Amino acid sequence: MNESARLEVVGRPARRKDAREKVRGKAGYTTDISLPGMLHAKALRSAIAHARLVGIDASAARELPGVHAVLTGDGIGDDIAPTYGYFIKDQPIVALDKVRYEGDTVAAVAAETEAIADAALRLIKVEYEELPPVASIEDALSDGAAELFEEAPMGIVPAYGTGASAELRPRPNVCYRFNYETGSPDVFETCDHVFEDTFHFSRMQHFHLEPFAAVAQWLDGDRIEVSTSCQNPFALRKELGRVFKLPENSISVRVPFVGGGYGSKNNCKAEPIAILLARMTGRPVRFALTHDENFLTNTQHAAVLKLKTGVMNDGTLVARDSEIFLDSGAYSDASPLVAEKAGYRIPGPYRYRHIRTSCDCVMTNTAPAGPFRGFGGTQTSWACESQMDMIADRLGMDPLEFRMKNLIDLGEPFVPGESGMDSDLRAGLELVAREIGYHDRKKNPVPNRGVGLALGFKDGGGVNKPAQARIKVSTFGDIFLHCGTVEIGQGAHSALSAVVAEILGAPAGRVRYMPINTDHTPYDQGTNASSAISVMGQAVERAARSLRAQVLDFAADRLGAEPQDLDLEDWHIRKGNEALPLAPMIMGHFGGTGWEFTADGFHKAETDHSAPLETQCVFWELGWGAADIEVDPDTGLITVHKLVVSGDAGQAINPLVCRGQDEGAAIMGLGQALFEEMVYDGTRLMNGDAFAYRVPMAQDLPAEFVSITQEQGHGPGPFGAKGMGEGGMLPVAPAIANALFDATGVRVAALPLSPPRVKAALAKNS
Amino acid sequence: MSDTVSITCTVNGEPVAADVPASTTLADFIREACGLTGTKIACGHAVCGACTIHLDGVPVASCSAYAFEADGSEIRTVEGLEDADGELDPVQAAFADLSAFQCGYCTSGMIMLARALLDRDPNPSGETIRKWLSSNICRCTGYEMIVEAVARAAEAANPGTMR
Repeated sequence: MNESARLEVVGRPARRKDAREKVRGKAGYTTDISLPGMLHAKALRSAIAHARLVGIDASAARELPGVHAVLTGDGIGDDIAPTYGYFIKDQPIVALDKVRYEGDTVAAVAAETEAIADAALRLIKVEYEELPPVASIEDALSDGAAELFEEAPMGIVPAYGTGASAELRPRPNVCYRFNYETGSPDVFETCDHVFEDTFHFSRMQHFHLEPFAAVAQWLDGDRIEVSTSCQNPFALRKELGRVFKLPENSISVRVPFVGGGYGSKNNCKAEPIAILLARMTGRPVRFALTHDENFLTNTQHAAVLKLKTGVMNDGTLVARDSEIFLDSGAYSDASPLVAEKAGYRIPGPYRYRHIRTSCDCVMTNTAPAGPFRGFGGTQTSWACESQMDMIADRLGMDPLEFRMKNLIDLGEPFVPGESGMDSDLRAGLELVAREIGYHDRKKNPVPNRGVGLALGFKDGGGVNKPAQARIKVSTFGDIFLHCGTVEIGQGAHSALSAVVAEILGAPAGRVRYMPINTDHTPYDQGTNASSAISVMGQAVERAARSLRAQVLDFAADRLGAEPQDLDLEDWHIRKGNEALPLAPMIMGHFGGTGWEFTADGFHKAETDHSAPLETQCVFWELGWGAADIEVDPDTGLITVHKLVVSGDAGQAINPLVCRGQDEGAAIMGLGQALFEEMVYDGTRLMNGDAFAYRVPMAQDLPAEFVSITQEQGHGPGPFGAKGMGEGGMLPVAPAIANALFDATGVRVAALPLSPPRVKAALAKNS
Repeated sequence: MSDTVSITCTVNGEPVAADVPASTTLADFIREACGLTGTKIACGHAVCGACTIHLDGVPVASCSAYAFEADGSEIRTVEGLEDADGELDPVQAAFADLSAFQCGYCTSGMIMLARALLDRDPNPSGETIRKWLSSNICRCTGYEMIVEAVARAAEAANPGTMR
């Protein structure tokens, strides 16, 4: 293959590599693992939101036949660090001195069967001393509120670059605050208008169908082997090493197929309890949560976002000052990172002379919030894109024109020190506007029907994210791809294999994506931040190019030719019109048992103190959206007649996979927009199971649902690819809220846009 | 913990006889006693349909049925769809060709649901497909590609007769 040649593998709508396994029920997930002698674990969950633990009596549970171990906080010795977390180590494996939400883990049992483990849980007696509950952001920040953590947080603030900073526990019940500022606030004085608006964002559950699950065993008494449904095995291994005080080469983390995560399966979930019970019993232990328990384990962040935006009469944006409060729930989990991202993304992809933001992680006695598709960008896109339409209306401008006037240009840095915008934002916006019929929407107006646009925005690819990949090719051209990107549904196996096949001139079927085991798999920081193709893809590309060069050098030596005169085609050397098989050449040189060519590839964004987050953004992830809706004024029910979403894949590695990413994200966004919400009555979750918590179903698809994969070609990944998977979610809720305003003149600034909320807003207006 | 029941049935055409605790769910029976882990347990409440199998030809949420309800019945799971030569069922082939899956955890149930639909209505309208698929939940795809795959499977089995 030479570089100018037409792409042979990349860009084709091929079957995914995991297709045959998945449609035949043969794909292996953590929940499918069964080991000889394996025990089953279940956890006792607190029915009280906030209490001091006075005592636990587990004696009856321990005596139940079939029970092998009961884990309680007082049974954790000094040989274990009893808490874990990302930046702040605040979440206990099981409750130590307090419980902090309804559903907090109080104890765990390992038994012959799940049924016996469940029966044993009912025999555990817990004595609590109740404390005042903190139900909401408002509660947590009120004077005299009870504190979830009275002691200083055990954690760190990472290095930040120009304009960014953070602090641990800036005030009670706030575990972390991220700040960013650029330009002088004096410019507010020059603005013709300053608009202040507040937005509320509701909390979703990831609703991954495979629950949190881990199967753990101790080998030789001092080594851990754990298979887990996890998105970031290497980060997990590091944390397990800290918790269990073991060297990382004594911990093997294996990750089979993962049955959905959408962010939730980063870092410790089921693993610490499975590992600890395995140590206590000397047997393999499987700990699979129920789907109901997923609701109590990790959620999206509810948020309050206060925006103050300065603008000129002609529609030029000048300044944005914003305060964001995230409901982090009872433990910090990934909240500091989400705060960093929400605080950074709140300006949206627009040009300002001054930006100041702060984002607080507010602790409440509710389920811990963590990473969720969009990672703060969903919250900020909701507020930013709603306010864009509100400002346009106040200025008497068309919302599309107002955006077009202020959008960052292709190549223009997002903020000083940042990388340039790698998509033509106006082209994408015009594309969805045209597809929804935006320009003709006033020609034949229908009462209560309207059209809205939004442009979701986030920095993609993670911050300061290294990735390493290794490729091996055997004598006969069988390709092994070793990298740590987890197949969680996004099609990473297929995409990364296609990159290798393309560069090595091989059919895609020759590449096998090897199972992930941290003992052998090269390092990766995690399958998150839409980073697979944009970060790991660059490592894979480098490994493939290095391997290709090795093979051509080898063949050139054997053939007495120059490497640049040779080409690699399906494990043959193409030399002029000749196609020479490589296998005999390899065995002729290395002997009859043959040889493996091996190459590594590495990628990391340069550390750069002028960039606010210490490295420049890898790529910018956009989601252009447009909605045509109708609202029933009697019920407040919104019907979406047409939904248009579009992302920019840069170069689609597999267009079917790209389409699936955008559509899946968009329908998740549709659920967020219209009905999905974890409903709390105080600190009690009222709809924490699949019966009561409604997610979109096929019948909820809009009558017309259009997704358009743009391929603008500016991405940093292989062949110009950019990451995908989150962008499609971001514009949906604000596009629908903007369409509702277009239809009725009524602005709803809280999610979801459920019939009661919309009906009340319409009634208030009339 | 509980009384044992004897179950005799066929699973994907093979006779199976087993003694299991009376409280065993059909999903656990299939996954553990029969070792067929293609059937997934997700919500556990017969809402999401990841555990859908055919019981005497009827799609059933196996997580919320007892194993003893299958006594004397024919059970068909995703593993029983392909033919003896490993040729995929048209529904499986369409799901594979059109990428009508992502994480794959709902896929077995979706395919069994779609198979049951096409067994009853070989040429379903798009509206019928959407209605049927609304029995099951997929959190990854946004459904549109699944709807297309079911239509493709119907078309493949009955060329030229799509409504």
